[in-house]
Amino acid sequence: MFKDMTLGQYYPIDSPIHRLDARSKFVGTVIYIVSVFMVNNYIGYLIAIAALLTFIAISRVPIKFMVKGMKSIVVLMIFAGLFNLFLVQGEVVWSWWILSITKEGIDTAIKMVLRLALLIMGSSIMTLTTTPTSLTDGLESLFKPLNVIKIPVHEIAMMMTIALRFIPILTEEMDKIMKAQMARGVDFEAKGLIKKAKSMIPLLVPLFISAFRRANDLAMAMEARCYRGGKGRTKMKPLKYHWNDAVAFLIMCGYLALCIIFGRGVLE
Amino acid sequence: MSKIVEIKKLLFDYIRRDEEGNVEGITTAVDNVSLTISQGDFVAILGHNGSGKSTLAKHLNAILYPTEGTVLVDGKDTSEEDNIWEVRQAASMVFQNPDNQIIGQIVEEDVGFGPENLGVPTPMIWERVEKALKAVNMYQFRSKSPNRLSGGQKQRVSIAGVLAMQPKCIVLDEPTAMLDPSGREEVIEAIRELNKKENITIILITHNMEETIYADKIYVMDEGKIAMEGTPREIFSEVEKLKSLRLNVPQATMLAYELKKAGVPLPDGILTKEELICHLS
Repeated sequence: MFKDMTLGQYYPIDSPIHRLDARSKFVGTVIYIVSVFMVNNYIGYLIAIAALLTFIAISRVPIKFMVKGMKSIVVLMIFAGLFNLFLVQGEVVWSWWILSITKEGIDTAIKMVLRLALLIMGSSIMTLTTTPTSLTDGLESLFKPLNVIKIPVHEIAMMMTIALRFIPILTEEMDKIMKAQMARGVDFEAKGLIKKAKSMIPLLVPLFISAFRRANDLAMAMEARCYRGGKGRTKMKPLKYHWNDAVAFLIMCGYLALCIIFGRGVLE
Repeated sequence: MSKIVEIKKLLFDYIRRDEEGNVEGITTAVDNVSLTISQGDFVAILGHNGSGKSTLAKHLNAILYPTEGTVLVDGKDTSEEDNIWEVRQAASMVFQNPDNQIIGQIVEEDVGFGPENLGVPTPMIWERVEKALKAVNMYQFRSKSPNRLSGGQKQRVSIAGVLAMQPKCIVLDEPTAMLDPSGREEVIEAIRELNKKENITIILITHNMEETIYADKIYVMDEGKIAMEGTPREIFSEVEKLKSLRLNVPQATMLAYELKKAGVPLPDGILTKEELICHLS
């Protein structure tokens, strides 16, 4: 049931993109997302698709992993596509009963589906090529300025790290509790929403109790190892920009410029 | 030899309170305990559940503070707030559940957590991590996820984690209670190595008698007091007394004891199978 849950979906391989600093990848992803929202003609989309394919090729992550990530939003894509296809008003090309397809409808539907696909695949390049640890480290350092407005950035990053570490442990525990409760006659396959919700209680209560116990133990273990917040802490793997990060920034800026010039119909 | 731990007349009360915060009852977990441990010793503290041995251990790491009496670790009073971090670095603690004390997602990152907290410069962290992992024989697993390791391996990573903080003394609170027999052996082996090679003081809290036979000294606790103290041989000679404290002696000792009662001429306090075989043949 939980085996196929991939949160840290890191694909361990060596590539120029894997070697980039997590912060560069994060900023690059943001630039890509912005570009996808900005372009509004097919040349723009072609540029975005070409860029995406190039990035995937450089990252050496098999395309099938990217496609796997799309599974979760297939339904959303179909809905978005169909709604746009049938509901956008304009020049009718085909109609039957109350349904009609317009030229503008086809146009927006294609663009909408493409946009969603590009967003998901674009951001999954980042998660596939960055370990969760360096990703949280990168976010911590990128959002450090928020310390000024009293947002505990280090603490949030530490919480994320710990959460990621405990997901597999709690998943395993949930499996165990489920089996133990099933042996005592709890029916997890029950039909109906209310029954299903009720059958979750004997699962969630022990799980929460155990999670709190673990949290207590972990807090003690962290204190025993002299953890006292982010102050005065050094890093075992400090983040460092290299020349390749500069190259990546330049490439992303060039790409954004291309999108602005050709993808927004400025020249038309 | 210098004293690493000095406990003077330690008394600790757990106070139970009801919902309004009124005192409902007081349980004295540690009752008037005094002991000293020298640098480089391997000390075992034995006791059945609820004998106060874990409470005692938590005092050595400044997780609990004495209600009465004083605890000095490396000459520093644990009840003074300024000393907490020095005390915790001098006497590091390994806990029972390996899953609940590993913070990093990769073995080497977890071992680096302690030195990171101490503010050790980056290149030195790597040196310490490498040395600590090699000391517990886990270096080849350095880039693995802790979730893929066995219980014994996880516990060895935990030991490496405290070792990287370069403590003078390691306190282990029932480190083998959740492990299978082979995992137990791995962990005890690693602890003995550290004691012998690095001259680190080991304080092993346990209720498993087999683990204590290599100790230099054993303290047996019962109801918050020290009931017996001595070398393993002295302690295990008194089988009847141990039984009355609800502790089981090692199998070889038990067999020797029964044989002696039945009239076979054997010395007191046999600890291992090999020793027994040697005396019998």
